[in-house]
Amino acid sequence: MKYFLYWGCSLEGTGANFLVSLKPVCEALGMEFEEIKDWNCCGASVSYAGANDLSIKVLNARNLALAEAGAGYDIVAPCSSCYVQMIKVNHEIQEDPELLARVNECLGEGGLHYNGSLRVRHIQDVLYNDVGLDGIRKRVVKSLNGLKVAGYVGCQSVRPYGEYDSVNKPVVQDRLLAALGADPVPFPSKIRCCGSGIFLPEIDYCLELVKNILEDALRHGARLISTVCPMCAMNLEMYQERINEKYGTNFDVPIVYLTQLMAVSFGMDLKKDAALQYNVIPPEEILQSAIGH
Amino acid sequence: MEKTAGYDPSFAQEVFENVDAGEEIRMCMNCGVCAGSCPLSLRMDYPPRQIFQMIRAGKRDAVLNANSIMLCTSCYTCIVRCPRSIPVMDVMHGLAHYAIRQGILTRRDTASFGREFWKQVYKLGRIDEKDLPRRVFFSAGIVEGIKNTIKYMDMGLKLLLHRRMKLLPERKIKGIQSLRKMLDKAAEMGKGGARA
Repeated sequence: MKYFLYWGCSLEGTGANFLVSLKPVCEALGMEFEEIKDWNCCGASVSYAGANDLSIKVLNARNLALAEAGAGYDIVAPCSSCYVQMIKVNHEIQEDPELLARVNECLGEGGLHYNGSLRVRHIQDVLYNDVGLDGIRKRVVKSLNGLKVAGYVGCQSVRPYGEYDSVNKPVVQDRLLAALGADPVPFPSKIRCCGSGIFLPEIDYCLELVKNILEDALRHGARLISTVCPMCAMNLEMYQERINEKYGTNFDVPIVYLTQLMAVSFGMDLKKDAALQYNVIPPEEILQSAIGH
Repeated sequence: MEKTAGYDPSFAQEVFENVDAGEEIRMCMNCGVCAGSCPLSLRMDYPPRQIFQMIRAGKRDAVLNANSIMLCTSCYTCIVRCPRSIPVMDVMHGLAHYAIRQGILTRRDTASFGREFWKQVYKLGRIDEKDLPRRVFFSAGIVEGIKNTIKYMDMGLKLLLHRRMKLLPERKIKGIQSLRKMLDKAAEMGKGGARA
């Protein structure tokens, strides 16, 4: 199973624990990744302030064209913002030959061309549909033993097309968590937005969004919150102290990437592979007591 | 603003022609599912449904100055729930871009965050996560810049200590010159801001 991995800017910085844990986990599951050579940023969700829509489409089409000119594998985007930007552009291009022509006119300025032949996929999609739950269960050597986890899907990782999961009531992350031996708690806020890209400039409004999500997870008994999005992880983890200051709450919930939980349950090194030391709110104690050490 | 108004197509025409995805509002039946789905609609001057109706009523200034068009978190909930398949989020982004191009900065911080983000994309081809907040903080002036830097210093240090902040400045992608040529062409060919 070979793929292009388009990890994007955040996974080299604030979302480093996602990329560090994803690589050994996917390798153990028989996936092989190639980098899209000289990839660029996807534009995330805020570029519209500075760019028109065609510019943002062309930005993403450049990555698609580079991948198509290479080996042409499916592109796996773990960051939900990269995923949603790229899949949206790809779909729109594939459905509208006139748009494809316009995009290609722009790509042509830099000597590139895109035919629209590729598929863009989220990491949850390939884990669930290509590897499969059985394939994952086979690798589990340290079950999470019923650890109560709230699977926070966020918004962008299943949208807008619902290619591999429901856009309103997603189940894939919960099933993946259960395959690791965890007990995914009911979590109505699993697709409520955390504020995403405008969190920092609109912090006064967005703190409340995150507070509601954290409360919902704890109300349903979660000890940990898992995520597959670097914006969700950042907003849910790094602002807990400020929420506590503002609302007089007492949040101290570790936020971990799904792939970190996979590395732990695969019996991999907690630092080198599961990258737990990257987490600001430490999850080690909860995880070690779950796996029995 | 008065509660009722007649149709005035002048601004709607302007939106159809100049705003990315602007023509999509033609399909709106004002059901309000977007307003009910939006995580920040309670903070908005007018929810998206009302914005669309105000466009049809020719309320140009009220629409372009509404905080609503700058408060989109890009969660796609309105898009996946709209019974008429209107990409509501895209229209809001289009309106925000158009308003900013006319010099209207209703949510100054969010506008400068987005603009600085795009400037980095254009300059480097990638985002430098250390540099971006710094530029946004100082875009409001040196005093605001220092205040905000101190305010968020603790978070920056924690990220740094936990190896979630790259130490070296982000380098340009190799194909930056050709990327810029592509983006220049797209800026020229695309909609959005023609009257700016």
